[in-house]
Amino acid sequence: MTDAVLSLRGVGKDYGKRTAVGTIDLEVRRGEIFGLLGPNGAGKTTTISIACGVIAPTRGTVEIGGIALATAPRQAKQKLGLVPQDLAIYEELSATQNLRYFGALYGLRGAVLAERIAWALGAVGLAERAAEPVKQYSGGMKRRCNLAAGLLHRPELVILDEPTVGVDPQSRNHIFDTIRALRRDHGMTVVYVSHYMEEVEALCDRVAIVDRGAIVALGTIEELVAAHAGKGFELELAGDAAAARAAATAHGAVSGDGAVLRLVPTGALAPAIAAIEATGARITSLTSRGTNLEAAFLALTGHALRDGGP
Amino acid sequence: MIVAAIRKDVWLLLRDRGALISLFALPIVFILAFGSMFKFGDGDHQPRVIPISYPAGSELGRKIQRAIDGTLGVAASYVPSDAEVRARVVSEAALAGIIVPADFDPAHGRRIELVLDLAGPIQIRGPLEGVLTGAVMRALAPVDLGALPAMVDVRSPPGLAQPLPEASGFQISVPGNAVLFGFFIALTTAMSFVGERRTGTWRRLLAAPVSRSAALLATLVPYYLVGLAQLGFLFGIGAGLFGMRVAGSLPALVVLSMCVSLCAVSLGLLFAAIATTEKQLGGVGSVMLLVMGLVGGCMFPRVAMPAFMKSIGLAVPHGWALDGYFDILVRQGTTIADVLPNIGALLAFAVGFLVIGLWRFRFDA
Ligand SMILES: Nc1ncnc2c1ncn2[C@@H]1O[C@H](COP(=O)(O)OP(=O)(O)O)[C@@H](O)[C@H]1O
Ligand SMILES: [Mg+2]
Repeated sequence: MTDAVLSLRGVGKDYGKRTAVGTIDLEVRRGEIFGLLGPNGAGKTTTISIACGVIAPTRGTVEIGGIALATAPRQAKQKLGLVPQDLAIYEELSATQNLRYFGALYGLRGAVLAERIAWALGAVGLAERAAEPVKQYSGGMKRRCNLAAGLLHRPELVILDEPTVGVDPQSRNHIFDTIRALRRDHGMTVVYVSHYMEEVEALCDRVAIVDRGAIVALGTIEELVAAHAGKGFELELAGDAAAARAAATAHGAVSGDGAVLRLVPTGALAPAIAAIEATGARITSLTSRGTNLEAAFLALTGHALRDGGP
Repeated sequence: MIVAAIRKDVWLLLRDRGALISLFALPIVFILAFGSMFKFGDGDHQPRVIPISYPAGSELGRKIQRAIDGTLGVAASYVPSDAEVRARVVSEAALAGIIVPADFDPAHGRRIELVLDLAGPIQIRGPLEGVLTGAVMRALAPVDLGALPAMVDVRSPPGLAQPLPEASGFQISVPGNAVLFGFFIALTTAMSFVGERRTGTWRRLLAAPVSRSAALLATLVPYYLVGLAQLGFLFGIGAGLFGMRVAGSLPALVVLSMCVSLCAVSLGLLFAAIATTEKQLGGVGSVMLLVMGLVGGCMFPRVAMPAFMKSIGLAVPHGWALDGYFDILVRQGTTIADVLPNIGALLAFAVGFLVIGLWRFRFDA
């Protein structure tokens, strides 16, 4: 309650009988860079679309800077900047023309608008080519223009949905630097949505791991790693892997396929090994699976994050 | 390879309803519509009925009636009074009528009266005038045509306003095409909505502190103004370059154009509410607008259409818009009051489109 810039309480969305987001509770604190990490289709975009008032939730409430989105949408939205997952800019127009329009949506006009446009273009490193039509930009420049359009009104909270998709490493670093500077120089709070583990690890103070429309863990990266990584094991099997897999299910979360079995035991490891060997399968190797966010993710969700990836 | 490519394209085409309609169904619609319009008679081999009045027992009257009956495409029908002939033309029950006066005496100005709407479209009026004058002349034959005064007066019946003298074909082609293409702003409007949804700029708009009605107006108002500018441009070019003139009042032209543009962007909202892709709009939407233009009389005057086609022309806003424009451009003294029914109908269409459009519109799709 104290200094939450964004709070979601019991937020969820159903599309017909399909549940895109179950029930999400979340508080983003003032001044932090908060990560929302999850595979494609986990419900990240749906969640933040509800947080921004772009789609109406099936259940739950949203507050931005202490203002209820449902009762005072205009005031709540004024505190928030959204950088959508898609390149939500007009390709035929120049960066400046785009920003003039998007700034006006937040009530910016005249000299203030001109000053904010100059600032935002400088912040994302597009000042020199601001007069060109956006369609002539590289993928990375388009992304940076997309970012600038969400910053003009200096929101308390910026929500960035996969802002680095299809971007070269140089633009990506530029975007990261911009995000850090927004917090440092302007005290902005950032919600960073991504399905890239290493981005979230590099940038975020706290992370919520989203899977199948629910938050499965929330904390600092250190907390998540300490609590969930290092518990998992990877076994290589010879013999009847299917039977071994079935036997292991009774002793923890099982994933992997073929001869590889990944296991996060609910209790001790020994009974699980005994059960596997009792099926006649042989364990040819056993390794503990690292102590990083990736291992934590695997342990929490039972599957790898990357389904294709960059 | 070619076979595989053909197969792939046929699959894609079968999935694209819009393209299928415009390739296969649209030509059939046009063939049927134009075919039934150009048929001169009302049904199969049914000639156009021309009411004729003459004093009981008038030999000349009967001769003219026979001459008309003997002319392809028209048939005369005796009516007992001159007033009845004029009334049928005014009510559009007949395209033209003939009145033979009791004291027929061309040398002293008592001529046969050919009753038709002089403000009607030239494509219809011209041939009719020729055919009927010819029939009258044959009935009078043999006479030395060169030596005689004119035998026939061509007049609009009272109740129909007089047209501009020497109205050119542009009086008809300018409004026809202005209405046809003016309504295409509906397509542009809908494309804009669907495009904004596809690119995500719509998402940005919804995340901004603007109400949903303001978000809609942010698209509707610009295209409304573009639509007005388009109509202004077309009528301006028509007047400036092609000598089109405004017989009625200029304010009436402006007000009617405002209603046309409003109706068109409202239809755009309806299209946007129903369509999900720009491709769909480009196919189905443009076909619908063409068909509406066709039945509304933008390509062929509705006056000359068979009764059935004539009435469905008023089921689309194009018919009302065009009738209003014809009156304002061709009939002298037409005021806003004269085109109030047209304005009312266009506004009613606009409200209908807006209501259904808003009801079906998905903000967060
Ligand atoms: N408009 C919609 N209609 C139906 N299902 C949807 C819609 N939008 C999203 N979904 C479904 O909700 C789930 C979550 O989607 P999304 O929030 O976009 O995931 P993410 O951003 O994590 O990749 C997906 O399974 C997606 O198919
Ligand atoms: Mg997403």
